[in-house]
Amino acid sequence: MKTGVYFCNCGSNIADKISSAAVSEAAKSFPEGTYVTIVDFICSEDGKQQFEESLKAERPDRVVVAACSPRDHEATFRRCLTNVEMNPYLMQMVNIREQIAWVTEDPAAATEKAIGAIRGAVCRVRLQQPLEKKQLEVCPDALVIGAGPAGMKAALSLAEAGRSVVLVERTPFMGGLPVRFDELFPALECAPCMLEPLMGDLLHGDYAEKIELITMAEVVEVTGFYGNFIAKIRQKPRHVSLHECIGCGECVEACPATTLNVFNSSTSERKAIDFAFAGVLPNAPFLMEDVCIRSRGEICRACKDACPMGEDVVDLDEMETVIERTIGAIIIATGAGLYDASQVVGMGFGTLPDVYDALQFERMLSSTGPTGGEIMTADGGAPSSVAIIHCVGSLDDAHKPYCSGICCQYAFKFNHMITAKLPEATITHYHRELVVPGKEAHSLFHHAVENKNSSLKRYNSIGDLAITRNSSGQLLVNFEGGADTVDMVILCPAVTPAEGADELSAMLDVSRDSFGFYRELHGRMDAAQSTIKGIYLAGACQEPMDVRTAMLEGMASVGYTLAGLQPGRTIEIEPITAEVDETRCSGCRLCGSVCPYHAITFNVEQNVSAVNAVLCHGCGTCVTACPSGAITGHHFTNEQIMAEIEGVLK
Amino acid sequence: MHQKPKLAVYWAASCGGCEIAVVNLHEKILDVDAALDFMFCPCLMDTKKKDIEALPDRAIAVTLFNGALRTEENVEMAHLLRKKSQILIAFGSCAKGGCIPALANFTTKEELLNSVYRDNPSVDNPAAIIPSGTTTFPEGDMHLPALLGRVRHLAQEVDVDYYIPGCPPESHQIWNVIETILSGDLPPKGRTIGCGTLTVCDDCDRTKEEKRIPAFRRTYEFYPDPKTCLLEQGLLCMGIATRNGCGAPCTKANMPCTGCYGAPEGIPDQGAKMVAALGSIMDIGDTTGLSEEAIAGKVDEFLKTIPDYAGLFYKYSLASSTLGGRVGMGGEQNGTHHN
Repeated sequence: MKTGVYFCNCGSNIADKISSAAVSEAAKSFPEGTYVTIVDFICSEDGKQQFEESLKAERPDRVVVAACSPRDHEATFRRCLTNVEMNPYLMQMVNIREQIAWVTEDPAAATEKAIGAIRGAVCRVRLQQPLEKKQLEVCPDALVIGAGPAGMKAALSLAEAGRSVVLVERTPFMGGLPVRFDELFPALECAPCMLEPLMGDLLHGDYAEKIELITMAEVVEVTGFYGNFIAKIRQKPRHVSLHECIGCGECVEACPATTLNVFNSSTSERKAIDFAFAGVLPNAPFLMEDVCIRSRGEICRACKDACPMGEDVVDLDEMETVIERTIGAIIIATGAGLYDASQVVGMGFGTLPDVYDALQFERMLSSTGPTGGEIMTADGGAPSSVAIIHCVGSLDDAHKPYCSGICCQYAFKFNHMITAKLPEATITHYHRELVVPGKEAHSLFHHAVENKNSSLKRYNSIGDLAITRNSSGQLLVNFEGGADTVDMVILCPAVTPAEGADELSAMLDVSRDSFGFYRELHGRMDAAQSTIKGIYLAGACQEPMDVRTAMLEGMASVGYTLAGLQPGRTIEIEPITAEVDETRCSGCRLCGSVCPYHAITFNVEQNVSAVNAVLCHGCGTCVTACPSGAITGHHFTNEQIMAEIEGVLK
Repeated sequence: MHQKPKLAVYWAASCGGCEIAVVNLHEKILDVDAALDFMFCPCLMDTKKKDIEALPDRAIAVTLFNGALRTEENVEMAHLLRKKSQILIAFGSCAKGGCIPALANFTTKEELLNSVYRDNPSVDNPAAIIPSGTTTFPEGDMHLPALLGRVRHLAQEVDVDYYIPGCPPESHQIWNVIETILSGDLPPKGRTIGCGTLTVCDDCDRTKEEKRIPAFRRTYEFYPDPKTCLLEQGLLCMGIATRNGCGAPCTKANMPCTGCYGAPEGIPDQGAKMVAALGSIMDIGDTTGLSEEAIAGKVDEFLKTIPDYAGLFYKYSLASSTLGGRVGMGGEQNGTHHN
C-alpha cells in the first residue's frame, strides 16, 4: 500500500521547530510504501496545485497531510483529493502546527513528537476506508414553540417568506405574557392593542394560511435531524371549534360550573367553559374538563344547547389528539415566568393579604383582569400607600445571582400607572440596584423620581427587609432603622424560564445553563442558536428580556432558518456514522439508552438494534458503550484508533 | 487393533470444577470412552507424569488443559502436554484468562505468601516458616515447586489451539466440542469454541428496555423481578459483556451473570468493555448548574455502589486483560491477548 505524507512547512511556523529532513529520514522506517513530500504552504493556491499534481503523479492509496489543525484545512485537502478523483476519507491530517510546533520549545523534542504523530497517522490511514456523503432532501418549514412575542414574530415572518409554520401554544390563547398586561414600558403603549395587529395577521392576514396555530398543545416528542425533524404534538381538547366559534359567549352564560381563573392569577372566577380573559385571541372559549359537571357523571349540555352557531361548535366528546408534523427547523420561544416569591423569606408572599407579585399586579392593572383595571386591596378599598420591592430573588446568590434586567423598568411603569389611577397614593420603591439602560427607559425613571408622591429607598440585602402585619392588621415594610406602614406590597421577583422548560429541553436534548435558561451555541456569536443544529432560540426562554428584544430574537431565529433551509436545496450528511452488525447484536438495548440523537431503533422481532445513518452524528457514544462490540464507528474504528496509538508509541 | 485417539484432561492451578463438568456429561461419558482413550486425568486416574513423558510426541489427540499457571510445575506440565498433544485446548476460564487464581496478580508473590502463612489471624506459625524449596524428612527430600511472580494463562506460555470458556464450561458445550473433534471438521486454529458468538443477553429471555441506572444494588437487598433485565433492576449483571453459549443458567435462577464465559467475540478486554458500557448508562441525575466538583461528587456516590471493581469486572480474565494485574510492581510482563 502506497502512502503519501505531505509535510507542510507553513513558512516558518512549522519549519522553525520541526525538521522536515528528519521526518523524511524517519519515514524510511515507516510502513512500506511511504513517501514524504515537503511543501512550503500547502493551503496556498500554489501549494494545493502542487499537492494535487503530486497526487496525480504518485497515485498513492492513502494520504497523510502533516500541517495545521484539521479545523483549519481538513475540508480544503479533502476537496483536493476529490479533485483528483480520490475518496476524501482516505486522508488523515496531523496537526503538527498548533499541537506541536507552536507549543514545543525544543526543536529536537518537537521533531521527535512530529515523527511519532505522523507515524501514527500513517499506520491509521492504511486502515481507513472510502466513505460516501449522502445528500438529504430537506423540509424548509418550521415549528415554533410558544406564541408569545418572539414566537409570533418568528411565525409570521417565516410565513411571509413562504414557509409553512406550525405554531404550538400551551395556553388556549396567543400573545404570551404581555397580552395579559395593560401597558408596557417604556412608552406605556397598551399591550393588547400593540400586539393585536400581529395576532390578527397570524390568524387572518395574507399569510395566515401558511400558519397552523395549535393551541392548548405541547410538543411531546421530536425525532430526526436538522432539515427533517418529526414532531409529535399533543393537543388537549378545547371542546370548541376554533373555525366555527364566533366568540359570542352564549355558552359561558349557560354554564353552571365555576372555578378560579388561573389566567387572572386565580383571583377571579370563571365558568367551566369560558374565555381565558376578555379580548383573548383566538376569540373562543375553552372547556375545562375537570371543572365541567359532566366530569362528576352529571348530565349537562347547557353550553352546546346555548350555542347559536349550531350543534357542531361545541364538541363535548372531543378527545386529546396527537398531531405529527415534519419540519426542518425548530424555534423555541417558550418565554419566561417569575420566581416563586414565597421562596424569599420575609416577603409574606402567599401568607399576607395584599402582597402581590408583579404578574398578579399586572393583571390587576389590566382592564381584562379580575378587577377590571382597578387597583384595590383585598377588602375592596383603594390603597393609599403602595410599596414596590425590587430585586426579590435577583442579584442574590441564595436565589438567582443574575440581574433580571426588566424589573426596574416595569416597577417604574407601575409607579406611573398607580399615580395615574390613584393620584393621592404614595409609592415607595425599595431597591438594591437600579437598572434602566437604553435610550427610552429614563423617562419612566425620571417620572418616578420627580413624582411628589413617590420615594426611593435603598436596601443592602433582601434579608434587611421584612413584610409583616401589625396588631391592627396593617402591612409593615420593616427595614434597617425603621418601618413603613403600607396598604399594598408589590414584589418584583427574579425572571425565570417558563414552567416546562425542563421537559422540553430534555426531550430536544437542548442544553440549558445553570439557571435553567436555554444555552446559546455561543453567547455572542450565535446567541439565537441552541446547541443542537436546526433548533433556534427566541425570546425570554434564553434569558430575561423585554418585548422589544424578544421580537428581535424572533427575527434572528427566522434569519437562521431561512439561511440554512432553502426549498430544493439538499444538505449533505457526513458518512462518519455508527453502524450495527446485526449478526453480532445480542439485543441488550444499551445503545438506545446512550444515543443523544435518538438515532437508534430496536427491532423487537429480530432482537437487534439499528442506527439510522441520517440521524446519527457519528459521536461514537454507542460504539464505546456497545458491550458486545457489534457497533462500528466508521472512520473511527477500534482498529484504526489502536493502529494510530501503536504507531505513535512505536 | 485400531487404537482410539487419546484424550487427556489436566489440571494446573484450578479448583476441580472443570473435572466435575466433564463428569457431568453423565452417561455421555460412556460415549466419550467409546470414542476416545481417556488416558490421563490426575483427578480421576492414576496415570503419572512419567507415563506421559514416555509417550511419543503428539501421541495424545486432545488435551483439555484446565487451571491457570501459578507454579513452575504448572508451566512444566503445560510444555510437556503441548509437546505430547496434537490439539491443546485451554479448557475453562482459568486456562483461558487466569480466572480466580489470577486475582492474586493484584499483589506480589511475597505479600501473598505472607498473608497465607504469617500475617493471618487463623495461622499459628511462630517460626514464621514459609514452605518453599526442598525440605528434608527422614523418608527423603520433599520438593515444592516455586510460585511464578505472576499468574499466567495457558497461551502466555505455550501455543494453544482452541479455547473453551466457562467456570466451569457447561457440560452440554463440552459434549458439543467432543462431537466437533470426533467429526474431524475443526474450526480455524485460535478460535474460542464450545460457546456462542453473541452475549449472554441473547441467551437470557428477560425483557430488555433502554437503560439508565441511578445506583447499583446487591443481590441480598431485594428480590429481583424474574421477568425484567437484571441490569435494569440495578444488579451488576455482566451478561451484556459476556460471551453466550452457557444458556444463561444464572439469570434464569434470578442471579446476575458474573461473566465466566469471558469477553464476547472480538472484544479484547471484558472488564474494560463492561466499564465502558456501565459508564454510558450510569445515571447521576440532573447536573444542570452544578459545579465540576459537585458532579464529580455525584459520580463518586454512584461508584460507591459498585463493590470490588477487580473482582467484579475481571473475576475471570485478569491475566488476559490489558493491565494484567497491579501495575508497577515489577515481575513478569503480560502476554498476548486472545479471544
